[in-house]
Amino acid sequence: MSPMNNPQDLNPSSLKSRFTTRFLRALTKINGQKPISSSSPREMFQRYRRIKVAADKSMAWSVRSRRTWSRAMLWKLRSRYSCRQASSSRRSSVRTSTIIKSRQAKTSHEKENKNTTTGQDEVGFVVQADKLRKLVPGGEAMDLCNLLGETAHYIKCLTTQVQVMRKIAHFYSL
Amino acid sequence: MQPCSREMQAINSLLNPTQQIPLHDLQSNGNSNSHQQIQNPHFDPTSSHDDFLEQMLSTLPSCSLSDLKSPWNPTKSDETCPPNPDNNVGFHYDEILATKLRQHQINGGGGSSPATAAMKMMMQQQMMLEGRATAFGRGVGGGLTMPLSLGSGAAGSHHNDIVDGSSFKSPNNQDHGGEGSVQALYNGFGGGSLHGTNQSSNRPQHLNHPQGGTMQAQNFGAIAGTVIKQSQASGSITGGTAAQPKQRVRARRGQATDPHSIAERLRRERIAERMKALQELVPNANKTDKASMLDEIIDYVKFLQLQVKVLSMSRLGGAAAVAPLVAHIPSEGGGDFIQMSTDGGSLPRNSNGNHTSSSNDSLTVTEQQVAKLMEEDMGSAMQYLQGKGLCLMPISLATAISTVTCQSRNPMINNANQNNGSSNHPLLQSSGEGSSSPSMSVLTVQSATMGNGGVDGSVKDAASVSKP
Repeated sequence: MSPMNNPQDLNPSSLKSRFTTRFLRALTKINGQKPISSSSPREMFQRYRRIKVAADKSMAWSVRSRRTWSRAMLWKLRSRYSCRQASSSRRSSVRTSTIIKSRQAKTSHEKENKNTTTGQDEVGFVVQADKLRKLVPGGEAMDLCNLLGETAHYIKCLTTQVQVMRKIAHFYSL
Repeated sequence: MQPCSREMQAINSLLNPTQQIPLHDLQSNGNSNSHQQIQNPHFDPTSSHDDFLEQMLSTLPSCSLSDLKSPWNPTKSDETCPPNPDNNVGFHYDEILATKLRQHQINGGGGSSPATAAMKMMMQQQMMLEGRATAFGRGVGGGLTMPLSLGSGAAGSHHNDIVDGSSFKSPNNQDHGGEGSVQALYNGFGGGSLHGTNQSSNRPQHLNHPQGGTMQAQNFGAIAGTVIKQSQASGSITGGTAAQPKQRVRARRGQATDPHSIAERLRRERIAERMKALQELVPNANKTDKASMLDEIIDYVKFLQLQVKVLSMSRLGGAAAVAPLVAHIPSEGGGDFIQMSTDGGSLPRNSNGNHTSSSNDSLTVTEQQVAKLMEEDMGSAMQYLQGKGLCLMPISLATAISTVTCQSRNPMINNANQNNGSSNHPLLQSSGEGSSSPSMSVLTVQSATMGNGGVDGSVKDAASVSKP
């Protein structure tokens, strides 16, 4: 794979271009917030987190809500963000935590149901399906068939993300 | 009479009373030997039992169940049972009686009256009309067997014939179940006298309902099957039932026999095509086993996620940032794609696979250079690497690739070290090859030129040497 892939995101509505624009926007915002070279590892870590979250969020936003994994990721990011925002006020954090717990319980319950139903057909794949479910956001509540479809789209989006970020890193470093 | 009424009540309790079937029409149909012929298209739901066969026949192909209103009054089962056939049946009643007598005899005297048998037939017909047209045959099959079994425990071979004769005959007649049911009806009525040509083939089809069978019909069949078994049906019947699934599958080669297996097959097909789509996305998709394919997919997803993390780290512009992050990564990293080391030592991570034994001085120099650069700016470090034709790559992949290609390419594995105390997870490896491995390909930098500003003198010398 050549290092200088000609950027083919000429199509303005392609996934790549959408993600790129959003991510660059978020990146510039992050860069504008703090100086780049802060020596404290904690701040570095925070910055890394922010960048990663920005990358994930922009990717999920590019997909809008067409996919389950994007919806799940957005929901997770938002809930985490709201948790963080509301960390000062216990009430809302408790509320969000209960919401998260209920959702987790629900998804785990659904996963159990799905597992029992899918386990009948392909018993050997339940283990891997579980692993896949953990990897793909929002994968707990899906049956194997939909899970595979979501995984395919997720892989495609991840590769796009990696390509774009590599190029950005390359240009950034120049 | 009493047993007749009981049977009728039993059957009626199981079924919704529907239209009656005119026996005489059945008989006539049988006699005409055109089981698929609908002789009486006119339909009169309110008529008495005289023309119920006509009604049935007319409703078989097109009319819906709602049209079939049964004038059959289940309550008139007591003493009116026996006379009912007399009243309802037409001019063919004598023949019907004859057949019923025959049936009754076969039943072993269950009803002990021709009227009983007639009532049984009526009930069967009623059950036959139960449900949709396609269910007619099943109803016939079930209905006919039920009274038979209820009536007696006789299990003669002829009984079997009767049962089979009354059974639904056309498993291949899914859409024309009504016609088949008509045939089954008259076959059943015919008993021995009206045995159709396909009597012999009916044996295992007794419970062999068409594949488009309704649940009702299946229930009938199930009930009939159980009742028949209880009635000490001969081994032929049980053998028939045992052969039925096979025959059912054989009859429907490309289709499933019940909606559950259809749904399962659809699901399996969908999963198979999704797996194929995933195979194209994921590299190393030469695995034929689904389980290993899933493993590959899982590893690839983990790897991609890890790459995103690495790339997001690289923009932080500081090697110092790598330290806490690296400790964080192993908890999230992929399986064998990355062999993270949380070793805080600044030992040169010369490999997990002992491949750095091939590293030469230029490599160590490069390593130090890269380490220095990484401390300052990750981006510049990466750029330097790229200029040298090196790339970042997971350690495990590097080991795998080097084992594969060590003869041909002699890859130089360069492990970057972090002087601030934690090992860097990425493994530097030169890539002169266009590796097909995707994990490599993502990080591989083709070294087209070595023109990176003279960072490494030895490389330059090599380049200059090679020029002339």
